[in-house]
Amino acid sequence: MERRGLTQAQRRQFACFLFTLPALVVVFVFFLFPMLRSLVYSFTNWDGIGRDVQWVGLKNFVTVVTDSSFRQVVINTLYLIVIYVPVLNVVALLLAVAVYNAGRAGSIYKSMLFFPNLLSMTVIALIWKIIYNQGGILNQFLKAVGLKILTRDWLGLPQTVLPAMSFTIIWFAVGYYLLIYLAGLNTVPVDLYESAEVEGVTRAQKLFRITIPLIAPSITINIVLSTIGIITLFDLPMVLTRGGPGYLSQTLALHVYFYAFVQLQTTYALALAVLLGIFAMIITSIQLRLLRRREEASR
Amino acid sequence: MKARRLLGYRRRSRLGVNVVMIIISLLLVLPLWYVLNNAFKVEKEILRQPLVLLPSTVTLENVVRAFTAMNYPLRFMNSVVILALSCAFLVSLGTLAAFGIAMANSKFMNRVYGVLVAMITLPFQLAMVPLIFMLKGLGLMNTYWGTALVYSGWFLPFVIFIYTGFIRTIPRELEEAGRVDGCGLFRSLLSIYIPLLKSVTGTVLILRGVPIWNDLLVSIITLSRSTLSTLPLKLYSFIGTYGSAGTKWTLVFGSTVIVSAPILLVFLFLQRYFVKGAVAGAVKG
Repeated sequence: MERRGLTQAQRRQFACFLFTLPALVVVFVFFLFPMLRSLVYSFTNWDGIGRDVQWVGLKNFVTVVTDSSFRQVVINTLYLIVIYVPVLNVVALLLAVAVYNAGRAGSIYKSMLFFPNLLSMTVIALIWKIIYNQGGILNQFLKAVGLKILTRDWLGLPQTVLPAMSFTIIWFAVGYYLLIYLAGLNTVPVDLYESAEVEGVTRAQKLFRITIPLIAPSITINIVLSTIGIITLFDLPMVLTRGGPGYLSQTLALHVYFYAFVQLQTTYALALAVLLGIFAMIITSIQLRLLRRREEASR
Repeated sequence: MKARRLLGYRRRSRLGVNVVMIIISLLLVLPLWYVLNNAFKVEKEILRQPLVLLPSTVTLENVVRAFTAMNYPLRFMNSVVILALSCAFLVSLGTLAAFGIAMANSKFMNRVYGVLVAMITLPFQLAMVPLIFMLKGLGLMNTYWGTALVYSGWFLPFVIFIYTGFIRTIPRELEEAGRVDGCGLFRSLLSIYIPLLKSVTGTVLILRGVPIWNDLLVSIITLSRSTLSTLPLKLYSFIGTYGSAGTKWTLVFGSTVIVSAPILLVFLFLQRYFVKGAVAGAVKG
């Protein structure tokens, strides 16, 4: 009897595995395997077509890193992370607190702020291209209110292209991150605020002493999600600036695409993709470690 | 309701919050309104006074011209087919896999699950290049199936993660009771679990359906033949031909609006689910 029971359990395990198998095959063939190939082939001269594959060691990486555009691309990517992640999260958190406090109308604001998130980033980028254009609405508006001195080609100048792009991405994304903060806020017990009120706690103290520590998990999620999001973002910068002018708004994610599908330099694209993957993993794991520690410390 | 009464702020400060939020919300949707109302202006009016926020004469000409110029019905159909195929893969394979993982609850399957979860945050760019060469080799370039399979491989780890998390909250006694009654695994999946998975499937469709519908990256690399291009991809190639020169504003405004129209309509009817679904994924993560 016992032996039969064991095989039955094994048969059940095997059945469970069969359920999982189709998905595993698709994930393996169309995602994991190509990734592993990128890792391996980035050390070879594989160009996708040739049969004769040879190890070249770190040559591809050296070429990519020493390319004149690389420094600019890394600086741009870091710039976007450093500007976008904190600004987005602070704005989203403040708006979430405001929506929370707005009472019944809150759900209307929530929907309005979330709205751009539904549109394709191609559409979003196109809209902002029209706005930032030399003869675009932003410049016309500035002229109309007597600030002609401020008018400029927002996406064509080195000083303004990345700030303009960051602004557009924040405008697009803020509603989504707001929703996550709002979900976090809704888990905070209201009595806490009420008793704080009785003790005469100021508004800033409420925010920093009660709200932020209690929604620390949402903060962690949002910071990691927004960092991964900005590192891998493709659609919006692709349509908004195509990395231009020159390489001044090119990011790592965009650069992989250009290497692979525009300049047709497969070996360099692979090396850069591997660097991008390592970069994303390092940054997010550092963030996770730091944020989790803070979460625990604030408990 | 208690939450709505909120933090015991005074009524006056609530009024202030509302005034500020009305202004912010309006400013935020202003760019969208700008595009929408220009899409229905006559060309002369767009050029002369683009800042005016209401058209003096409403015309459908821009929208109609964009509709024919981009061959809208074809693009729409391409988008729908790719979305439907991808979602069919994601939901069916995702449910099966999550069910298998949750039911097995063994060391091995939990490790497989761990690997899948770890893959969620890996950048697609890492797989992109060999993937395209493989698609070419398999004859899946420029096919609906190929593009849908790429989305599936990319998003299945996340979908399995959502489904598994949900299935694990369902009491195991349910399946055990079914087993006593002679219900096999497949039967209990069909008759016990699938009816319970409706709402989480809605979440999955919103969380991954919207990005697939809106995506440019996968379509731009897998669909080079122009008859197959989806709405966003066609819009993108449109910009190249018209937009940057700034001469064909009418077409740009018109096409932007008709490309966005389908998802707007869906959102208007399913607004509640969208807002709820968008959070569900992140909070579980």
